[in-house]
Amino acid sequence: MKIKDIVIIGMMGAILVGIQVAMGLLPIPNLELVSLLVIVFTLVFGYRTLYIIYIFVLLEGFFYGFGPWWINYLYVWTILFFVANFFRKRKELILWATISGAFGLGFGALCSIPYFITGGFPTGIAYWVSGIPFDIIHGIGNFIVTLFLFKPIYRILNKLSNNGMISV
Amino acid sequence: MKKKSKNLVGIVSTIALVVLVIVMGLIYTKLGPQGMKGDKSIVVQVITSEDDSQEFKINTDAEFLRQALDEKDLINGSDSDYGFFITGVNGREAEVDNQEWWQVTKNGEYLPYGVNDIAIADGDHYEITLMVGY
Repeated sequence: MKIKDIVIIGMMGAILVGIQVAMGLLPIPNLELVSLLVIVFTLVFGYRTLYIIYIFVLLEGFFYGFGPWWINYLYVWTILFFVANFFRKRKELILWATISGAFGLGFGALCSIPYFITGGFPTGIAYWVSGIPFDIIHGIGNFIVTLFLFKPIYRILNKLSNNGMISV
Repeated sequence: MKKKSKNLVGIVSTIALVVLVIVMGLIYTKLGPQGMKGDKSIVVQVITSEDDSQEFKINTDAEFLRQALDEKDLINGSDSDYGFFITGVNGREAEVDNQEWWQVTKNGEYLPYGVNDIAIADGDHYEITLMVGY
């Protein structure tokens, strides 16, 4: 890996943290840009996105503390990466908005996996169900945000990578 | 032809998402936490260390624990992606640098949901314990 790549990966990881923290200040919970950025990074940077994701996860841990939620972060974004990577040849904006929306809707279910394992089925279900209102906000937010911001962000990052400013 | 296929993907995926939202909403309505109306008396024990705990008896008509605790002005906190996050109880703030956090239990049993969603019943006993370490 080139030094330029390392710098870009670090920068993108830091951008994810910065945006996550900034969006966390908004009065609407679960409105976030990380899902969209992980999708766009996957399309532009390919497997290098995994480095970006884990830098982001590590920095989030330092910022917010390595709480139980942090375990979820170790796999949820990676799942989104693999889903986006699977569909990477598709160009339809609505499909990306749907993937992002579905990820938001399924976020609580994914985060409840440790509770299914440690507490059994009733605990896992109770955890997931109690978070459904947040998941619905998350899903709708992701859908709208991706619908409006996917193209401009993809265009900028793609242009930078095509100009050689980002090596992919 | 290609445009038609794109439109079809758009329509199908949007409908699928809407259906998913509706199904999740129905599941929440059916299985989500259900509060009980009426007067209740509950006990909340705030435990800051093995030797230091304080009990609060709360008479309330609140349906969920958060509201009952707010009535007594017992907790501070903020809304997070995972619901209401308790940062302080009875004036004692958890120190994040020391990996302190508050855990809510009922009769010593772990509760898998946040304080906003804990439906209370008459005679309930809750513990809010200052934990150290993640």
